[in-house]
Amino acid sequence: MAKKVRAVLTLQLNAGKATPAPPVGTRLGGYGIALVNFVKEYNERSSAMVGQIIPVQITIFEDRSYTFILKTPPAADMLRKAAGVTKGSGTPNMKDGGTITAAQLREIAQTKLKDLNAYDMETAMRIVAGTARSMGITIQGRF
Amino acid sequence: MKWIELSVEADREAVEAISELFAKYGYNAGVAIEESIIPDEDEEDKYELDLDRPVMVSTWLPNDERAEEVRELIAQHLWHLGQMRYISPLQVTISDEEDWANAWKEHYHVLRVGRHIVIRPSWREYTAEPGDVSIELDPGMAFGTGLHPTTRLCLAALEDYVTAGMSVLDLGTGSGILAIAAAKLGAATVLAIDNDPVAVKSANENAALNGVVASQIRIAEGTLAAAGNVQFDLVVANIIAKVIIELAHDLAAALLPDGTLIVSGIIEDKADSVALALAAAGLHNRERRHEGDWVALVAQR
Repeated sequence: MAKKVRAVLTLQLNAGKATPAPPVGTRLGGYGIALVNFVKEYNERSSAMVGQIIPVQITIFEDRSYTFILKTPPAADMLRKAAGVTKGSGTPNMKDGGTITAAQLREIAQTKLKDLNAYDMETAMRIVAGTARSMGITIQGRF
Repeated sequence: MKWIELSVEADREAVEAISELFAKYGYNAGVAIEESIIPDEDEEDKYELDLDRPVMVSTWLPNDERAEEVRELIAQHLWHLGQMRYISPLQVTISDEEDWANAWKEHYHVLRVGRHIVIRPSWREYTAEPGDVSIELDPGMAFGTGLHPTTRLCLAALEDYVTAGMSVLDLGTGSGILAIAAAKLGAATVLAIDNDPVAVKSANENAALNGVVASQIRIAEGTLAAAGNVQFDLVVANIIAKVIIELAHDLAAALLPDGTLIVSGIIEDKADSVALALAAAGLHNRERRHEGDWVALVAQR
């Protein structure tokens, strides 16, 4: 039976290690969702990816039921791996936060494309490049 | 406990960068992203994202002495990001844990599970019918409300397998719901173990709420090792597939000859792997129960 969608939201959580604390509690609690149930389901489904941030997109219906899908890790995580740095620079555009090639940028954009809603490859690359810049990561070559 | 919520509305192309910033400073690296939707007029459960509206990005900080300093740092970084894309000023709101942690309770009612089990939230009235096995519960922040399919699958299995005088182990007890059910179904002794202190506290409170005495239920913080070398007539573990697979041998070793193992917290796609692990540990798979995407397995030594 069709149910009316009340909200769609994405939470970035530690795979396999979510708890009812924020952001889960603060975002889902208000919708009347039993937090521990969501946490158990997320942890079960993301248990193979422990150590990564795995965003989850939750669709909440009017009757407080919900469905969710796991998404690809944030672009920032992939950028850090590509640049071989553990943390990006603290200050956007200023300090050196590492370097990636245009080919690596394209690859990350390709992976992220399905999660960057309704965007084409060019826009996806621009978004990922923007994230890289904000982390102080330099992109070598033209893209 | 009080929490500070930091939110901005932003151009969707800036969302990844803001999320990265928020994850760096927010509690548990947690970030929430909320997009406006346009509901489909023909099909209620369908929608499209409203790409013309800005996206809301939020993170949370515990309201402690460092909060102001962190908020200031985040605001500075946002200013830099704001040079590239539209980002609204940082909105700061303070919320009390009570407000969101208990909101779901409003929708939690008396619940019948299996043939005779009745779960009664401690704040609800209920009149028992003959033969009811009623469990009073305030799960707090621990898992095990009876609302989740895995809990219901385990409760129904306990109802079928627990007989008077049995010794039972409940591994990953959460709210204590399964341990209390086992006791009420006639188990002589129940050991309930959880590695989360929040769960141990909740299980103790619920055992007291149900008047189950300490001589019948013992609740311990720890892992399966806390059971020592004692063996049980029945072991129930509603955890997750990965953990059950890792513990298969230890779970089997905790069973008396002919003892019964009930495991759940398993999604459909992983049920076969769990059954294989149980068989490899020398157990005989007896039953597979389903509710929605979730599975409970019953095996025997």
